[in-house]
Amino acid sequence: MRKLNQLAATTAAAGLLLAACSPSGADSDTGNGDGGSGETLIVYTNSNADGRAEWLTAEAATAGFTIEVVGQGGGDTTNKILAEANNPVADVVFGLNHVYFSQLVAADTIEPYTPSWSEEVDPALGDPTGDGMYWPVVQQGIVLAYNADALAADEAPTDWTDLWNDERFHGRYETVDGLGGATTQLIFAGILTRYQDPDGDLGVSDEGWEQIQGYFEHGSPAVPDTDLYARMAAGDVDMGQMFTSGIPSREEEYGVTTGVVTPEFGVPFAVEQVAIVQGTDQTEDAQAFIDWFGSADVQAAWSAEFDSMPVNAGAIEQADASIVEFHAGLQQQDVDFEFVTENLSSWIEKVELEYVQ
Amino acid sequence: MNRSGVRGMLRSPFVIVTGVVLAWFVVTFLVWPNANLLIATFFPDGTLTLRAVDKLISSERAMRSLTNSFLLAVVLSVTVNAVGIFIVLVTKYFDIKGARLLWFGYASTFIYGGIVLAAGYKFIYGENGIATDVLLRFFPGLDPAWFTGFFAVVFVMTFATTTNHMLFVSGALGKVDQQTLEAAKSMGASDWTILWRVVLPMLRPVLFAVTILTFLGGLGALSAPQVLGGREFQTIAPMILTFSTSLTSRDIAALLALVLGVATIVLLVVLTRVEKGGTYFSLSKVSSELVKQKISNPVVNVVVHVLAYALFAVYTLPVVLIVLYSFVDSRAIESGELSFGAMSLDNYARVLGQSSGLRPFIVSVVYSGLAAVISVVGLIFVTRILSKYRNWLTTAVEYLLHIPWILPATMIALGLIMSYDHPNLLVGNIVLTGTTVILLISFVIGKIPFTLRLLKASFASVNDTLEEAASLMGARMMYIFRRILMPAVLPTALAVGALNFNSLLDDYDTAVFLAHPLFQPLGLVIKANTDGAVSLDARANTFVYTVLLMVITGVTMYLVYGRAMRPGKGRRRRAGRGVLPTSGGASVAPVPDASTRPGAGVTARTATQPSAEVA
Amino acid sequence: MIRYENINVTFGDFVAIPQLDLQVDEGEFFTLLGPSGCGKTTALRTLAGFVQPAAGDVHIDGRPVTRLPSDKRRVGMVFQNYALFPSMNVWENIAFGLKVRKESKAEVDRLVRDIARRVDLSDEQLEKDLAALSGGQQQRVAIARALVLQPKILLLDEPLSNLDAKLRGQLRIQLKELQAQFGITTLYVTHDQDEALTMSDRIAVFNHGRVEQVGTPQEIYDQSATEFVCNFIGDSSRLTPDFVAQVNLGAGSDLPLERSSYLRQEKVGLQPNPALPRSAALDGVVVSRRYHGVHSSYTVSSHGSTVKVMQREDGTVQPRVGDAVTLHVNPANVLQYTPDGVAAATPDVAAAEVTLR
Ligand SMILES: Nc1ncnc2c1ncn2[C@@H]1O[C@H](COP(=O)(O)OP(=O)(O)O)[C@@H](O)[C@H]1O
Ligand SMILES: [Mg+2]
Repeated sequence: MRKLNQLAATTAAAGLLLAACSPSGADSDTGNGDGGSGETLIVYTNSNADGRAEWLTAEAATAGFTIEVVGQGGGDTTNKILAEANNPVADVVFGLNHVYFSQLVAADTIEPYTPSWSEEVDPALGDPTGDGMYWPVVQQGIVLAYNADALAADEAPTDWTDLWNDERFHGRYETVDGLGGATTQLIFAGILTRYQDPDGDLGVSDEGWEQIQGYFEHGSPAVPDTDLYARMAAGDVDMGQMFTSGIPSREEEYGVTTGVVTPEFGVPFAVEQVAIVQGTDQTEDAQAFIDWFGSADVQAAWSAEFDSMPVNAGAIEQADASIVEFHAGLQQQDVDFEFVTENLSSWIEKVELEYVQ
Repeated sequence: MNRSGVRGMLRSPFVIVTGVVLAWFVVTFLVWPNANLLIATFFPDGTLTLRAVDKLISSERAMRSLTNSFLLAVVLSVTVNAVGIFIVLVTKYFDIKGARLLWFGYASTFIYGGIVLAAGYKFIYGENGIATDVLLRFFPGLDPAWFTGFFAVVFVMTFATTTNHMLFVSGALGKVDQQTLEAAKSMGASDWTILWRVVLPMLRPVLFAVTILTFLGGLGALSAPQVLGGREFQTIAPMILTFSTSLTSRDIAALLALVLGVATIVLLVVLTRVEKGGTYFSLSKVSSELVKQKISNPVVNVVVHVLAYALFAVYTLPVVLIVLYSFVDSRAIESGELSFGAMSLDNYARVLGQSSGLRPFIVSVVYSGLAAVISVVGLIFVTRILSKYRNWLTTAVEYLLHIPWILPATMIALGLIMSYDHPNLLVGNIVLTGTTVILLISFVIGKIPFTLRLLKASFASVNDTLEEAASLMGARMMYIFRRILMPAVLPTALAVGALNFNSLLDDYDTAVFLAHPLFQPLGLVIKANTDGAVSLDARANTFVYTVLLMVITGVTMYLVYGRAMRPGKGRRRRAGRGVLPTSGGASVAPVPDASTRPGAGVTARTATQPSAEVA
Repeated sequence: MIRYENINVTFGDFVAIPQLDLQVDEGEFFTLLGPSGCGKTTALRTLAGFVQPAAGDVHIDGRPVTRLPSDKRRVGMVFQNYALFPSMNVWENIAFGLKVRKESKAEVDRLVRDIARRVDLSDEQLEKDLAALSGGQQQRVAIARALVLQPKILLLDEPLSNLDAKLRGQLRIQLKELQAQFGITTLYVTHDQDEALTMSDRIAVFNHGRVEQVGTPQEIYDQSATEFVCNFIGDSSRLTPDFVAQVNLGAGSDLPLERSSYLRQEKVGLQPNPALPRSAALDGVVVSRRYHGVHSSYTVSSHGSTVKVMQREDGTVQPRVGDAVTLHVNPANVLQYTPDGVAAATPDVAAAEVTLR
């Protein structure tokens, strides 16, 4: 019996602790913010790593928003919102690209809102349907990055397809077999859209699928828990996929100088969007938060902190010139997003089943 | 055991109340979500679709993964038994110097497992691991990435899953009657003959049960293949996880899960059959306790000692290194160096100092604690009825309660989401997704079969006459339950509760689907820290989390088993106290509860010793 | 045949047997009798070789065997709980030792069936599982298993204590018959005096690891050498000096008064025994009576003693509680012990015999 009591006591104590530690929950009104009523806004994102979540929480607090950032991978965040459609937890979601957002819109999980800064962004980067369900904040190039210390610019590949078609690169590039990430999916989308063929399997010609096969056949599989840059620094591989805003911090951390391949087709751009989650009970706060978050000043600060390339014109003006220049130098690939959105899940499934080794 | 019919059973208000709650639970959380999922995947518009079957069969990778899973299961059945039996023998059967210390080393798998354990081994034997460094010094030609693929998975899982042997085989061995060994000895049998012809055959039922558990573990292995399998050795479970997250591919996940489920059912049926074949116990009321056997051949003795300590090193090295590394800074971790000068409490300060540092722990502890308590308390009532009344209804219910063993956690989570992401009358029209309860529910569901088997075995060991005596003296059902049955099953209940608690602490598979975003348990955080390794600190954080996790599980084990584990406490535990998996442990046996089958002559006689049953 | 010489057995600090000297003759049915915990099993196991004595030697057939492993001592043992191998059937159990000796298959089968027949186990029982056998059958299996190896000595450790009273009675006889039939030297351990008295050729009474007395059953009973033996065997009453003085007075004997004196319940009568003319007659009052069918047990208070008296129920009218009765005591039947518990003098057997004549 004594044991049982101990157990009960432990559980009770833990329960109390949990209560004490929980954020000033949805029902406790902390009041008096300038930006909002003060209730906690729950923000879902896949853009939380490297201190982004902490930074955003702190900045928002000074602006009078109490927010709680919930970070997960792009696919997971999407699935979560879909799963919670009838009882949403999140109030705001940002960071996903429009492939994900179009899924969310299709499932009726996004509440339309036009932010105060909508005029300051290039509408081409936002909702491709023109409905304005979600709005762009950050643009990322999804590139093939290489270790410039190992490969001179003229030795580097000129396109993804070189990796498997040119023996020099065999085994020297990293392939990713966890296909759930937004970056990886965009790479495949970027490759496959070039081989559209209405008669082909899932709208892609055999030649297109051969590319995927080649990608896996000649690559060096990613090592779980080991960053691409760590492997480049160690000389295990020389190149791999990267999102542009991740480059500066990694160069610094691993001491690798990056070269970026610029294929003639351009590079796929992932534009991180923001929107309000359908069913939120704090619509006004959420709107106010989005107005604040996407504003030129905040985006400029975000860019300064995390090397991101903003979308907001005012923020681009204030952003680090080298970042702006670097992105200006990247030609955006013209990806047929309608085609991609329609087929992406099936593509990924096919790749998982037939090509991942 | 009472073979009363359904009608008689339903006359008791206790049965009716428990029964109604149970029926609701079974229908709402075990049957409907899973049926719903299967219907939705295979009959999306009312007609059977075999798209998934075609896809799977034509996928070379999927077929290879299936083969690999079965191969892993078969190989593990051999290796885990070899190592498991060996460690049980050297700690409980042979007279080995420092057996107690060895036991603690081998018991390290009690305090960590799953993804944490796989990551720990990888850290040591992986490419930059300290063990690999040492090996490279002796064999410069060695491939630094030697520890990957089939071999690595088998190696890690072999040492990770001997827990069952420590629990159940030890317990059964403790019940082998010393006199049978002496009888064999007096007839001239050698050490080897005694072991091989007398002792091991007596352990056959429990070994069989443990083998099946191992087989199932191999079949559904998730973290080890994920972390160490690499591309050349992929298995089913990670594939299920991959496909289940995508709406379009969910049918493939469901199909793969079905394959696992069918294999599990077949094995469980076989197990039940074999269980009927009988368990072996001392045939008499008086049995004398096993005395540690001296190995008479000096050469063999030395070899066994060396092997025992080598295994000890394998078991403890990851734990020791994880603890040590949790104190060194991230850079040193990255390069695999270990110098005592570089140690500090910085990592701990960082993790615990962050506002969010402690939170996942508390969330995990509360969730696991609640789930453990609910599953055990609830099932005590249920098991009581199931073991008191044997009829078609209770048998059917019992089978249904095993559903969570047949379907992977991932599938159950998906079923819950699909069924309760909209108002459903079964749960009072409350949408469960996006609430904190849904994870708790699925934690409880997942722990049902294990808890049920063990509690049932424990109830079966309570002498029926005790209950009859009490009722003659006028005690009411609840009173008997509280004063007679509870004390008898309490040790088992606590033990099961503790095991449940520990196994849920670092859960990832379920939480990734169901956790409330504001109450994310530890598993998610640990996984997030290992993903991509964007920050150097992430790995150091993981070590800190792992150490804290081991501390929690260790403390739990100590609270429940502590008294008996304390060294130097007399010669032996008292009879009838045998609840510890460590020595008496019989009462904690998952599948092998042969004692629950009615009227087995041999068992019936032994059943007079409280809580001493079960293979 | 068997000789214990100066045997000393200790378990850690605990001295189980301080010093044991004992001799058992060829073909004898020799019993170790004593309360539980007195070291009988230990003595037996020392002979079998499961316990190593700290000092002393065990001899079998004149040869010291103390250092010999148990299987080389040619002793067969039947354990208290039979120690049958639960994972084997009857045949396999009996065959175990033969197989260890690597006898040929045919020979094993012949010997097993042969011994089974002799202990009355049928061929079909040989194929059975142990759980399907009754307690008595299990015991026979255990005996067969021991005997099939043709030991010189058979050791039996409380083989009947597991059984119910009736079976115990039957098996006592069977066991004795088997022993007689095989003619094997047998060392039998029991705490049950009935068993010891009915089965044994000779008995050694144990107390706290020491032998109190060795002798035939009758010697042990009638001439209990120590106060312990006297109390342990049979049913007797302790006599007050006053009572003894009255006996002396009535019978003209001179039993010393300062010694502990006992009187067995069947050696005192309520009627004068014409065969024992030198008896004393003492007055007493019936305190209680217990009816047993064959006889009744009376408790009679007389001269400060509470004397138990066994009275045959032969149909005559018997006294009732409260009745005044006369006790007839022959001084030769009074057992006397010095304060250190040793028999003061051999009771006057000669006198008793004389009177019997
Ligand atoms: N292996 C042992 N270790 C310690 N003490 C023992 C051991 N075996 C027997 N004893 C002690 O020795 C004494 C005699 O035991 P035993 O020979 O079994 O008695 P018996 O058979 O007469 O009942 C008891 O007090 C018992 O507790
Ligand atoms: Mg004994």
